[in-house]
Amino acid sequence: MKALFLTALSTAVLFVSSQAISAEKSAREIVEQAELNAYYSGDDGRSAARMIITDNQGRQQMRQFTILRKDQQDGGVQDMMIFFSRPADVRDTVFRVVKQVNDDDDRWLYLPDLDLVKRISAGDKRTSFVGSHFFYEDVSGRNTELDSYELISENEDSYVLKGTAKEPGNVEFSYYEVVIDKEHMLPIESTFYNDSGEAYRKMEVLKVETVQGYPTVTHSRMSDLTNGGQTEMQFRFMKYNIGLPDSIFSERSLRNPPAEWLQLRD
Amino acid sequence: MIDVIMKLATGYRRSVFWLLTLITLGVAAFIPSITIDTDPENMLPDDNTQRVFHNEVKETFAMHDMIVVGVVNENSVYNQQTLTDLHTVSSYAESLDGVVSDDLMSLANVDNITQEGPGTIRFEWMMKQAPESDAEARYIQQQVEDLPLLYNTIVSGDNKAAAIYVPIESKDESYALAEQLRSKINTLSSSDDWHITGLPVAEDQFGYEMFVQMGISAPLAAAVIFALLWVFFRNVRFISAAMIVAMSTVLITMGALIAFGFTVHIMSSMIAIFLMPIAVVDSVHIMSEFSDRYREKGNAKDTIKDVLGHLFTPMLFTSVTSAIGFYSLMLTPIPPVQVFGAFVGSGILLAFLITVIFVPAYLCALKPSTLEGFAQVTHEEHKDGWLQKLGAVAARHAKLWIAFFLAVLAFAWFGIQQININDNPVRWFKPDHEVRIADEVLNDHFAGTYNAYVVFENTLDATEKARSAVRDALNNDALSEESRDALSALLEQEQVNFNQWIIAIDDLLFSVGSDQLEPLERLMTELEQLNTASKAFQSPELLAYMSEMQAYLQTTGLVGKSNSLSDVVKTVNRELRSGEEKDYELPDNANGVAQTLLQYQSSHRPQDLWHFVTPDYKRSLMWLQLTSGDNQHVTKVVNAVDSYIQDNPLPANIEIDWAGKAYLNVVWQEAMVEGMLDSLISAFVVVFIMMVLLFRSVVFGVLAMLPLSLTIAFIYGLIGWVGKDYDMPIAVLSSLTLGLSVDFAIHFIERTRATFKQTGNWQDTLAVMFDEPARAISRNAIVIAIGFTPLLFAPLVPYITVGVFLASIMAISAIVTLIILPAVMTAFSRLIFRGGQS
Repeated sequence: MKALFLTALSTAVLFVSSQAISAEKSAREIVEQAELNAYYSGDDGRSAARMIITDNQGRQQMRQFTILRKDQQDGGVQDMMIFFSRPADVRDTVFRVVKQVNDDDDRWLYLPDLDLVKRISAGDKRTSFVGSHFFYEDVSGRNTELDSYELISENEDSYVLKGTAKEPGNVEFSYYEVVIDKEHMLPIESTFYNDSGEAYRKMEVLKVETVQGYPTVTHSRMSDLTNGGQTEMQFRFMKYNIGLPDSIFSERSLRNPPAEWLQLRD
Repeated sequence: MIDVIMKLATGYRRSVFWLLTLITLGVAAFIPSITIDTDPENMLPDDNTQRVFHNEVKETFAMHDMIVVGVVNENSVYNQQTLTDLHTVSSYAESLDGVVSDDLMSLANVDNITQEGPGTIRFEWMMKQAPESDAEARYIQQQVEDLPLLYNTIVSGDNKAAAIYVPIESKDESYALAEQLRSKINTLSSSDDWHITGLPVAEDQFGYEMFVQMGISAPLAAAVIFALLWVFFRNVRFISAAMIVAMSTVLITMGALIAFGFTVHIMSSMIAIFLMPIAVVDSVHIMSEFSDRYREKGNAKDTIKDVLGHLFTPMLFTSVTSAIGFYSLMLTPIPPVQVFGAFVGSGILLAFLITVIFVPAYLCALKPSTLEGFAQVTHEEHKDGWLQKLGAVAARHAKLWIAFFLAVLAFAWFGIQQININDNPVRWFKPDHEVRIADEVLNDHFAGTYNAYVVFENTLDATEKARSAVRDALNNDALSEESRDALSALLEQEQVNFNQWIIAIDDLLFSVGSDQLEPLERLMTELEQLNTASKAFQSPELLAYMSEMQAYLQTTGLVGKSNSLSDVVKTVNRELRSGEEKDYELPDNANGVAQTLLQYQSSHRPQDLWHFVTPDYKRSLMWLQLTSGDNQHVTKVVNAVDSYIQDNPLPANIEIDWAGKAYLNVVWQEAMVEGMLDSLISAFVVVFIMMVLLFRSVVFGVLAMLPLSLTIAFIYGLIGWVGKDYDMPIAVLSSLTLGLSVDFAIHFIERTRATFKQTGNWQDTLAVMFDEPARAISRNAIVIAIGFTPLLFAPLVPYITVGVFLASIMAISAIVTLIILPAVMTAFSRLIFRGGQS
C-alpha cells in the first residue's frame, strides 16, 4: 500500500514537472515521453484484451487474449507474450515477441492444433494483427527512432505532432499526425495520411484509466477511413509491477502457458 | 369513321396539323433526359431470385465489378521494365477515386508468404517496390509460381501476361476510370501490349456505341426510306407526308418511353429504326391508291374518301397484327424485351392513327396542280412485266411449287433441330473491336476472365440450441437477479449473434461472485462449442470435398482455374510447415484450420479471406475462372458440377447455388428461349383468329398464315444449318416477323377476294392481282427490307444481325406470299373459291 502511494506520488510529481517545462519541450522529447507512458508503464504488466473487429458490412469477429509484458529497460528491450483465449478454435495460440531497439524484433508463434512453433521473420511489422485493423506494430509499439517528428501545434490540452518515416519505403503512410494529451502524456489520436494527403487510417483513444498511478489506455479504436470497418480494443484487469519472472518469456511457455500468471480473477 | 376523318381533313385541317406538331414536340421534349442502360443483368427483372442471389453474393463476398488491365510481353513479363510499368499503373489505379483500393489485385500489392531459413516464416509484399534488375524480377517469378492463388490469376501460366484487377465502386464510373488508366499507360515508354477489359468496361463501351447506332442508323434509315419513296413517287411534297408520319411516330414513341421513366436498353435503342419503315407502310398504300384513283375522281377529297373506304379495314388489320407480333414480346420474362415490344407495338398503332388522320388532311391541303403532276408521274411507270411473269409461273407450276415448299419445310425442320442456343455479351462487339481483342488475348494467356461462383452454404441452424442452452442456465437457482436479467436480455434478441452472446457472458463471468461461476461457465462452454460447430467451413472434411470437386472440374477442361478456401488453407499450412509440396494439405482438425486462417489474416490483406468465406464460416465461395463466357460453356460447367454432386453427394446440411455474371447470363438466356416460344405461339394463335375473323373463313385464315409460317420455318431452319448461334436478337425476331409478314398475305387475300367477286374467274383474278396489288406488296416489302439495312452499318453485332435477318425475312416473305398463295389457290381453287364459282 505504501509502495502504491509512493508510486502515485512520484507520478504526480513527474506530471507537475512535465507540465511545467512543456513549453520548451522538443517534439522528440514529447514523443519519447508518450512512448514510455504508452508502452513501458511499470517494470512489467499484465492485461486482458478483447478486440471486436467489424468489417465494412458490419460483420464482427472477436479476439480475446492476455498480454504479459516485462521491460528489460524503460524505452528499451521488452519481452512480451500474447496468449489467445477466444474464439475457442484458436485458444492457446501464443505469440512471443522480443522487442529490440536497434534491431528487428524477434517473434515466435505457437499454433496448438498444428502442434507447431514457428519463428516469424521480422519482415514487415505493418501487417494486420490477427485480422484486426491494428498492425503488429500498433500492439508492440512503433519504435520512435524510425520516424522524425515536428511539433505542428499545441494548445492547453495537447500537442499535435507530425511524424514522417525516415525510410519511407518501409511504410505505407506518407506521414501521420499524432495528438498527445498533456494531462497523461499519452497519444490519444493518430491519423495516417497517404501520398495524396488523404487520411486513410485513424486510431482514437476512447478511454484512459489510471491504474496503480499509471495512466492506461483501456479502450481504443482503429478505423479504416477509406474502405470502412474498424476494430475496437478494450483492456481489463490491468496490473503493473507484478514481478513476472524472466523465465516465463521463453519458448517453453509457448507450449506450456504459465497458468498462474494468466489467472485474471484474484 | 371515314366521315369523321374526312371532316377532320377538310374542316379542322389546321387543328390537325397544330395538334400533331404540339404533341410531337411536347413528348419529344423528354428525349434529352434519356438514360442508357447497358447492364446485361437487367435482362432479368430486379426481383428475379437468381439475380437477387447473385447480387447478395457479390456484396457478401465483396466480389466487386472489375476493370481488368492486362500487359503482355512476348517473352516474359518477369523483366525489370514490364514489372516497373506494372507497378506504376497499379499504384496509379490504387490512387484513383472510385477504385476499391483494398481489393485491388496485382503483383504490386499482394502478399508473399515464404520460408526464411528453417522454421521461419516470412510475410511480405510480393513487389512493394519495382524490381531493380531482371534477376529481381525472376525472383518474383519463383515466388508467384509457388502461390496457387496468384499463379495463373495475376500472372498467366505462360508468364507472358500479367493482370491488374481493379475493383470499382460503381459501374457508372468504369468508362472514366478506364480512360484515366489508358492515358496513364500511354505515358509509359513501354514496348509491351496493354489491354483494358472487364465487363464494366465492355458495358460502358456498349452504351457509347448504342448512342452512335441511334445517332447514325436511325437518320440513315430515314434517308434510305426517303430515297426509296422518291423512286416510287417522284414528288417531295407528296412523300413528305409519309416522312412526317414516320418522324412524329418515332419522336412520340421514344419521348413517351423516356417520359415513362424507362431506360434505353439495347433493345429499345432499336425502336426508332423498327418504327420508321413500318410507319410509312400505310402511307405508301394510301398514296399508291391515291395516285391510281385521282385521275378518275379529279379532286382530292373524293379520291381520299374512296381510297380510305377501300383501305381502312386492311390497314387497321395489318397494323393490329403487326402490333400483336410486337406486343407478344411482352410475354417474355425479359424486361428490356417487354419494353421494346410494348413501345413498338403501340408505336405501330400510333402510326396508323397518325396516317389515317394526318395524311388525308395533308393531301387535301395540297394544290390540285401538285396532285395532278404527281398522278401523272406515278402512272407512267405502271408497266413492269416481271410481276406478271411471277404470277404466271406461280400458277402454272402450282403443284411443283407446293412440293418445293414442302421440301423447304422438311429442310427447315432438320435445321431447327440443330439450332444452337448460345450468347455472350462480349460477342455483341465486332471481332475487331478492342474490347473483344482484349478479351481474347487475356483469355488466351490466363485461366479465364469469366467468373462463375459456386456458393456453398451450411443450412444447419444452431439458433435454437443456443437459446435452449441459455434457457437451461436460467433454470439454475444459483444465478442472481442481475445475471438472470442479462441472460433474459439475450433471449429477447431476434437473432443469435454468437460473438455478442459470448462477450455478454464473459462480462458477466467477471462481475459475479464465485457462487455463480459454475452455471455461467457451463453455459459459456456450451455456447463456444455451438459456435465452433456452426463454423462449417473450418471443417477439413468439407474443405476436402471442395478440393476434390475442384480437381474434378479441372479434369473436365471446362474450367481454367478454380480458387477456394481450401486452397488458401493448404497454402498457408504448407508455408507454416516446410514450404514444400508434401505439406500442401489440409490440417487434421477444424481448430487447425482456424489457426491457419488466423495466420492468413495476419497479412497485409486480411480482408482477402472474406472473398472465400463469411466471417461466421457458414458460407463459402468457390471461384471458377472460365475462358469462355458463352452460355453453352457455362451450362456445361453447371452440368459438370451437378453430375459431380450426383456421384459424390454433398456433405450433410450443405447446399450449393450459383452466382457470377457468366452464370447470370445463362439464366436470362434460358428464360428468353422459353419466353420466346410462348410469345411466338400466342402471337400465332391471336393472328390466326384475327385472320379467320377478318376473312370470315377458316380456309382463308389458314391461307393467310401459310407464307409467314413457311418463312419463319425457313429462316430458323437456315440458322440451324448455317450454325449461327440462336442469341438474343435472333430470338426476338421470330414473333415480330410474324406480325410484319402477315401484312402481305392480308393485302393479297383481301384484294384477291375483291377481284374474284368482280371477275368470277380465278385465271382473270390472277392476272389482275399481279398488276397493281402485287406491286403495292412488293413496294412495301422493299421499303421495309431496305429500311432495315442501315443497321448493317451499326458498330455492334446484335444490330447487324437484326438488320440482316429482318431485311431477308421481309424480302423472303414477300416473295413467298406472291408465290405460295397463287400456287395454293390454283391447286385448291375449287375448295377455296367454291362460293364464287357456284
